[in-house]
Amino acid sequence: MPDAIADDLAANVSPPRDNGEIVFAAPWERRAFGLTVALCRTQRCDWEAFRQRLIARVAEDERRSYWASWAAALEDVLETADAVDPAELDALARAYAGRPAGHDHD
Amino acid sequence: MTDDPAVRVEALEALLVEKGLVDPALVDDVIAHYETNVGPLNGAKVVARAWAEPAFHDRLLADGTAAIAEMGYGGAEGHLLIAVENTPAVHNVVVCTLCSCYPWPVLGLPPRWYKSPEYRSRMVAQPRAVLAEMGLELADDVRVRVWDSSAEARYMVVPERPAGTEGLGLEELERLVTRDAMIGVARALAPDA
Repeated sequence: MPDAIADDLAANVSPPRDNGEIVFAAPWERRAFGLTVALCRTQRCDWEAFRQRLIARVAEDERRSYWASWAAALEDVLETADAVDPAELDALARAYAGRPAGHDHD
Repeated sequence: MTDDPAVRVEALEALLVEKGLVDPALVDDVIAHYETNVGPLNGAKVVARAWAEPAFHDRLLADGTAAIAEMGYGGAEGHLLIAVENTPAVHNVVVCTLCSCYPWPVLGLPPRWYKSPEYRSRMVAQPRAVLAEMGLELADDVRVRVWDSSAEARYMVVPERPAGTEGLGLEELERLVTRDAMIGVARALAPDA
């Protein structure tokens, strides 16, 4: 079901001049956005510090997708603020990536 | 691959939840708020009111942040809002060359193309050509002003009020104001469109 929703969203992205465009192409993009705003609202993350990291990540690789740069920038600010331990995050991501098929990554 | 952002974002959220740093229900609320409650309609209401009420028009151009606050819009992600007005002689268009600054409280989330490297770099260098490609042809004697959003200021464009709209009420006017008109890559719709 989540894959079907993602496919549907991706297939129905409106043309640029449509007023009602879907802005997220995949569930994780929506999540990365929501997580960042929620953390900033609760003062766990400083919006301006995040924005500076986003600028740096976007400039670092213009071919990377926008939301991938966003997610990388979020990791950066949280690691700088010692909210997240990079080694712990890597380990958990590796564990998730090693899960059997059925999750939407390749 | 552990550099797959889908996996990393999932892991990041799991860690933050485990440490009690974020409430997943708040994340859901934020997403729902931006996907359903906040959209270009807020901005359209602001523009329609500016067209209809000269006093509000003047307040909006003098202090955009205060004027949208009067209508209940703004907040932590809003920062300073500056409204710039299109006239027969001047056309304004908004870009964020560095990242994706955007007046969320009035326009919702930015469209896909607003964040693209092509739009961000080319709108500054060749605004007329990019606008023409997006379907907006401007006469040679119209001056184009490109506003680069930043942490200090986010811009919204007040498009020109279309001809033939003198008798329309606020709700009818709102329907003529598209998101793209408020970014400055389109005109407001004609009333019979």
